Amino acid sequence: MNSDLRLRILNMICASGEGHVPSSFSIVDIINYLYEEIIDVKSLSNDSIDRDYFILSKGHGAAALYAVLEKFGFLTSSEIESYGKGHSILGGHPDATRIKYVEASTGSLGHGLPIATGIAMGLKIKGINRKVFCLVGDGECQEGTVWEAANIASNQGLENLIVFVDWNSSAQQLMPIENLGEKWRAFGWKVFTCDGHSNTELRQILLEESEVCGPSVILAKTVKGKGSKLIEGHGVWHHKIPNAQELEQIILELQDA
Amino acid sequence: MPSLRPIFAKTLFNLGAVDENLVVIVGDISHGLLGDFRNSFPSRYFNIGICEPAMVGVAAGMSKIGLNPVIHTIAPFLIERAYEQIKLDFGYQKISGNFVSVGSAFDYSKLGCSHHSYADVSLISHLPESQVFLPGSPLEFEILFQSAYKQNKVNYFRLTENSHDVEIESKSIKIGKGIKLREGSTLTLITTGAALRNCMLAASELEDIGHSVEVLYLPTLKPFDSGIIRESLRKTRRFISVEELSSHDGLYNLILKASAGLDGIKSQQLAISEFIRGYGSYAEIQARAGLAQHQVSRAGIDLVGK
Repeated sequence: MNSDLRLRILNMICASGEGHVPSSFSIVDIINYLYEEIIDVKSLSNDSIDRDYFILSKGHGAAALYAVLEKFGFLTSSEIESYGKGHSILGGHPDATRIKYVEASTGSLGHGLPIATGIAMGLKIKGINRKVFCLVGDGECQEGTVWEAANIASNQGLENLIVFVDWNSSAQQLMPIENLGEKWRAFGWKVFTCDGHSNTELRQILLEESEVCGPSVILAKTVKGKGSKLIEGHGVWHHKIPNAQELEQIILELQDA
Repeated sequence: MPSLRPIFAKTLFNLGAVDENLVVIVGDISHGLLGDFRNSFPSRYFNIGICEPAMVGVAAGMSKIGLNPVIHTIAPFLIERAYEQIKLDFGYQKISGNFVSVGSAFDYSKLGCSHHSYADVSLISHLPESQVFLPGSPLEFEILFQSAYKQNKVNYFRLTENSHDVEIESKSIKIGKGIKLREGSTLTLITTGAALRNCMLAASELEDIGHSVEVLYLPTLKPFDSGIIRESLRKTRRFISVEELSSHDGLYNLILKASAGLDGIKSQQLAISEFIRGYGSYAEIQARAGLAQHQVSRAGIDLVGK
């Protein structure tokens, strides 16, 4: 449980009065794990295209990405504390033209995976052996472009592309998607499933993934709002800012975790 | 009236041989013509299938890591269907690329409105770093594409199947430059792309009955050559825009902006104001839109009489 990162997310969003706390809590463990153990973090510091790529397609979880980027030294604490303010480079959805270490300006769902697919294809054209990671939501998997890109990626045999689905069942309360894994498999992807809040399971799955060819999707089972029972699940908390009392309660829950 | 597609394919082949960052992505069209490129540079040619929005996103990803994508399919599918991808993945992210469409406004005249595109030029023009070209002859495409494709812009080239067949000197073809093709004193016909043909014919016809008509041709609509417009209108004080574009946001609007502050200008717009329903030859659809030679001439007579 990355309580420190969750507290950072919470402070950012509450101070500015804008952001998506439950979505950020849902994905923060996956992003942190990638930066901690998988992505070649040193390669991000140079200006070369010879680096690993992480694209947050569900841009409304931006605060989780910002918190992780701060942890790994790619954003300063004053940048984080400026989140949402007029002079800040950080806001509710990431702007890649302003933040050097964000790879895509997302926010409208269904854009990240086609871009990630293009980067993966481009790396192969240039003969660069790097990985592209893309995080999409399970609700986002209702977008047509997700499946257009899924089709292209398997057709092109992109073994350098790994998608994480933040499988927090958002889709279930919209238009339920049955057999999400079957759908990806039908599009030619290798499908893995794990607990998206467990480093142990993420580590095991990425080890297994490295043995296969072709694009892989990891259906990471997550809980929206993970870390605070008050905001867990779906409904009003999706885009709600906690008041002072609620904030105190969430902080206590995170500190006890 | 030759199509511009063969010169498009030839230009890409020539540039692809010397520029290893040039990547061609097509949406199930022009494969035959692009065969030389595909066979010579197979790792940089993709027929990505029928999925225009993802095709645009994929191209943005390639551009992000230094490749220079040329994205090609039928105008309404490339620009109007995939506009949010163009707007966000290219425009908002400040990523460059080259969009080359076929079909123009209604070149697929026998296929109906699903294959027409009236708003493509307007949509691309909204992006801050865009350039918009409507070449009406193979030579114009060749020169303008070679000049623009590496400029780190969002370039849009609207190819036509119907060249205007008007001879234009290569030295007058430059990005952002209009071309004066006839000198006159009482009326200026202003046009772009394939519509030049009818303007030149109408100008001759009007001259035969005693009117002195100037013809300005603008194969680049963005950046727009305001200077050539102002110079002409100071003299003639009358213009007709003839455009295979939406009447809501096209050449006429650009001319009005360019002529701001000039007094006593009389004008008329000949453009597309509604879905051009039905089927027929290019000339028939053109007439249904009010863009035929006789309609340009008629508008000229009416305006000069005012």
